[in-house]
Amino acid sequence: MLALLQIGAQRSGSVSPIATVAGSIFGLAQTVVSATVGGARALAVNVVALPRLERENRQLGTRNRHLIEENARLHELAAAYAAESAVRPVVDLYHGIEARVIGFPPENESRAVTIDKGSKAGVRRDEGVLAADGVVGRIVSVAPFSSVVLLATDYTSRIPAVVRRGRWWGIARGNLTSVVVEYIAQDAPLRVGDVVVTGEGRSFHSGVPIGTVTAVERGSATLYQTAVLKTAADLNALDRVVVVPQ
Amino acid sequence: MSSFRSKPHFAPFVGPAWYVAGAWLVAAVLAQSTIVHYLAVRNVVPSVVLAVVVWYAIRVDARRAVLFGLVAGFCEDALSAQTGAAWTIATSLSALLASVLSRGFFADSIPLVIGVTILATLVRGLVFWIVAAIGGFPPGLSSMHAHEAALQSALNAGVMVVAMLIARRFDASTR
Repeated sequence: MLALLQIGAQRSGSVSPIATVAGSIFGLAQTVVSATVGGARALAVNVVALPRLERENRQLGTRNRHLIEENARLHELAAAYAAESAVRPVVDLYHGIEARVIGFPPENESRAVTIDKGSKAGVRRDEGVLAADGVVGRIVSVAPFSSVVLLATDYTSRIPAVVRRGRWWGIARGNLTSVVVEYIAQDAPLRVGDVVVTGEGRSFHSGVPIGTVTAVERGSATLYQTAVLKTAADLNALDRVVVVPQ
Repeated sequence: MSSFRSKPHFAPFVGPAWYVAGAWLVAAVLAQSTIVHYLAVRNVVPSVVLAVVVWYAIRVDARRAVLFGLVAGFCEDALSAQTGAAWTIATSLSALLASVLSRGFFADSIPLVIGVTILATLVRGLVFWIVAAIGGFPPGLSSMHAHEAALQSALNAGVMVVAMLIARRFDASTR
């Protein structure tokens, strides 16, 4: 009967229903068996290859760690090179002494930093200190192998200043967070964005940027006006500086 | 009869050894002038130097405390710009205060240490700015200094609590 059904279906060019059902069931079973066998085979391969994979993984891990370390070292070198090349023109221009910031006031009671060059390197008190972008401060204390730089933002810092656009004079004083230029003549038409540079003085040559005017305080009954500056050099992220001989 | 007139009795010294305290002080001064700067909160840094001074002062007599404070303050003056002897005087007095307040008792009590630290920080700030003003520091920032001293006292108390909890955990694990 089964054979006759099959023959009939073959002659008519179709598949018998029983064959269809059987094919479907076997197909499903084949899928399960095939997946199981495939998984078992893969497992066996992995088990066999496990020591090799483990070894490779260890080697790759070690190599990866070395590459990360090397990458960090190269980044550090690149940053150091960039910082050094940034201050190089200042060193060449003023025949200055390049130094690195190594410390801060212990209690942060003043805005100052300690640099790694002292009297042995030729640093003297009251010499000006510059960064690549502009004024940092001046030397207030010198030891043989280190010096303390009073930053331009310190409350006791005073620097002769000139507004570059109109040559109006003033005194740049620190207010702990930024620099303000006081005693600028009332009739000077100051504008936000004006660049303020050093005037020729005891610590600095003229023309070194101190900062950019961000606000102007002009009283109606005062003789002078005051400009608030954003310092040209980032005094919160100092690394390499240049001590300028007097 | 004469037993009451015998020479005065001195209790044996039981505080930290001077070289241990000295090592902690050196470490604190180095950390204070290099790393702690990066922990500044609104331009105020916690004073690990004062923390070490208070830690020592509450365990010893006033004379040793003042001497320790003197050395600690001198180190800070040496590393600062234009402070003269302000830290030396202020830290010595703070150490004296801490020693007198605690009288060596309950040096491991957290509330006592917090109280002494806060008071010592405030007194130290006050004395420092008085001496600095006498030394020529421009006036006009007293309000800001008061705020800074208040914030620093909270930070210092936090430092002391953390240090004491770590020390307790360390002691418990080594027993």
